[in-house]
Amino acid sequence: MNDLSQTRLWLMRAAFLFLALVILFFHLLPLTTTPSRWTGPDLLLAFACAWSLRRPEYVPALALALAFLMADLLLQRPPGLWALLALMGCENLKSRGRNLRDSSFAVEWLTVGIVIIMVMVANRLLLAVALVEVPHLPLVLSELGMTLLFYPLVVLITHGLMRVRKTAPGDLDAHGQRA
Amino acid sequence: MAKDRSQSSDYTGPLRRLLLAVLVLVLAAVFLLWRIDSPRVERFRAQITDRLVPNLDWAMAPVTGTINLLRDYQSYQRLADQNRELRSELRQMQAWKEAALQLEQENARLLDLNNVRLDPRLTFITGVVLADSGSPFRQSVLLNVGARDGLVDGWATMDGIGLVGRISGVAKNTARVILLTDASSRIPAIIQPSGQRAIVAGDNTAAPPVDFLENPDLVRPGDRVISSGDGGVFPAGLLIGQVAADPGGRLRVRLAADYERLEFLRVLRHHGNEQVSDTAQVITDSGPLPAGQDNAETDDQP
Repeated sequence: MNDLSQTRLWLMRAAFLFLALVILFFHLLPLTTTPSRWTGPDLLLAFACAWSLRRPEYVPALALALAFLMADLLLQRPPGLWALLALMGCENLKSRGRNLRDSSFAVEWLTVGIVIIMVMVANRLLLAVALVEVPHLPLVLSELGMTLLFYPLVVLITHGLMRVRKTAPGDLDAHGQRA
Repeated sequence: MAKDRSQSSDYTGPLRRLLLAVLVLVLAAVFLLWRIDSPRVERFRAQITDRLVPNLDWAMAPVTGTINLLRDYQSYQRLADQNRELRSELRQMQAWKEAALQLEQENARLLDLNNVRLDPRLTFITGVVLADSGSPFRQSVLLNVGARDGLVDGWATMDGIGLVGRISGVAKNTARVILLTDASSRIPAIIQPSGQRAIVAGDNTAAPPVDFLENPDLVRPGDRVISSGDGGVFPAGLLIGQVAADPGGRLRVRLAADYERLEFLRVLRHHGNEQVSDTAQVITDSGPLPAGQDNAETDDQP
């Protein structure tokens, strides 16, 4: 049992990195070479939040940092800053996961929404402080809105398809012990 | 069991916090390093992209193809409309074709009369677009030609018709092209026929505005915008597009290149413009006169 759950733990950690790679892959497809007025959701952040709340042991800080930094590098963002803030946001969600376990989805949505907004605001502020050109505001707002809108869908996929669920009483945790 | 677990979390808790602190510090350091020494980190970024993206090409090409196929299928539904539009356009085009043929003959005759040799050093390398910038905030594409093929930062990139952008970031196998629409793109241009010099400044919209125009009254919508070669980075005389006025009255450039489908791009080899550094000199029996003397005399006269 212990071996099996250990295998599953490492498999799911690898699965998260693979998921990040797939998201980046679809970002990089040369489909839109014209500037657009709106943007899609930041799926990587949404998935990272959903996984952090459900199974923090599947998304260790190192994996999160690696995925976000890779996204920064590949998507032409200032490297490090977004990764840093998103990592701190996810770690914050992990520490709240235990309290949120019994509450309804609306509360979770609200919490995640606040964290994502904080991450985006902090990103913008720090970019402005460092005198880096800040991204166009309407685009950022549309990205924020889309991310929040898509979060329930992301949770549905996480819960249904990927079978990453909150630990229920009586479940075995990653170390083969009762939670 | 329960005791064991609490002990293990006691043990891993501080360790985990330490790891998190280290990660936060490393990420902050990366950002600071980028802010201080941007070219070095950008080179690192280009190398990472160079390692990763060409390896994904085998998967990217079919997926891109399939998605484009589906998009095309949507446009088939408007086939009848398009057909009618195309027919009316074709009629106009035939008139233009006639005009172009006549002009071509005239041009060939004039070139022959003047004994013109076109610059043989303006050759090009053609590359395939591997990936786009991946984010709506930046407008760039990644080409599958790089330092291996002798590419250098700053070279101009065109599709068949017009200027597309400039090379910025060359790795071994790949090179990034900053498109004219990117918010950081600034291209010195000249507007014909009035000959006004201006800067085409990208602002993340489909039609970049024209900045630093000396006299906007001389410029009309429909005028041709070509690169001026000022600053020595770009070859002169590349077609950028046509001037158009947006509803706010601001002059913008309608780009000649087809940005909807950037697939194959030409990178123009450019070896620098010839600079005239000497001022005019008068050669006398005792050698050339210094250049300043002439000016000094003219200054004294008024």
